[in-house]
Amino acid sequence: MFMYEKRLQYPVHIENPNPKLAKIIISQYGGPHGEIGASLRYLSQRYSMPYPELRAILTDIGTEELAHLEMVGTIVYQLTRNLTPEQIQEAGFDTYFVDHTTGVYPVAASGMPFNAATFAVTGDTIADLNEDLSAEQKARMTYDNILRFADDPDVRDPIKFLREREIVHYQRFGEGLRILTDKLDSKNFYAFNPSFDKP
Amino acid sequence: MNEEQALRRRINAVKFASWELHLFLDTHPNNCDAARKLEEYRRQLAALTKEFEEKFGPIGETTANTSRWAWISDPWPWEKEAN
Repeated sequence: MFMYEKRLQYPVHIENPNPKLAKIIISQYGGPHGEIGASLRYLSQRYSMPYPELRAILTDIGTEELAHLEMVGTIVYQLTRNLTPEQIQEAGFDTYFVDHTTGVYPVAASGMPFNAATFAVTGDTIADLNEDLSAEQKARMTYDNILRFADDPDVRDPIKFLREREIVHYQRFGEGLRILTDKLDSKNFYAFNPSFDKP
Repeated sequence: MNEEQALRRRINAVKFASWELHLFLDTHPNNCDAARKLEEYRRQLAALTKEFEEKFGPIGETTANTSRWAWISDPWPWEKEAN
């Protein structure tokens, strides 16, 4: 089960609202490489994982992604406080505002609501772990692109923390893939799914 | 930064160090150095959490350090004032 801790994983303290920035950062809340997709991917893949290290790493990283979701939601929330209709229109935030006001909704920067089709659960250990490595790099890339547009240090600081976590998770998944390949039968290397086929 | 924010940041830092070691131990379950460090950080975290919860209210829902009635009180983590 899950229990809530009443704190963020890393502090978010943004002095100046900036709806233009909120409009792109929300992609990490509900976009194709965002934190809710990451969490659902890992927490769903773990059921078919054959080895204890892999079950543990997917459970723990999937849980940490929920803390990241909360941080991204917090950034969007703090960037959209106390806005006038003029500021909203000027920033191009009006297209989001019309449906959600300043509520935080899982959506990509392009306007596409969150979609589970953005990730896969194949039930195949090798396919899933390689997807996870790719997912961490795609999230890192998205944070890099956010940093190209964010010049406020109050925003850059937590975004840089989140970017760094993608790199650490990539490292842990790489070790998971190595643990898996070490355990595969060398005569059947990559030829069967250890979570389903019993050669 | 007020005392509550400063203490919460200290907890975040120690909790982060323990979480990193916890993840590392998932893929390195035989690493005794990491396990020892984790124990050390957990001891620090217990003391800091107790201090925080006695002064400012619960961080976790099962805490024995404070009254649960403060659970609903502001600030929630997404408010600027909490960070």
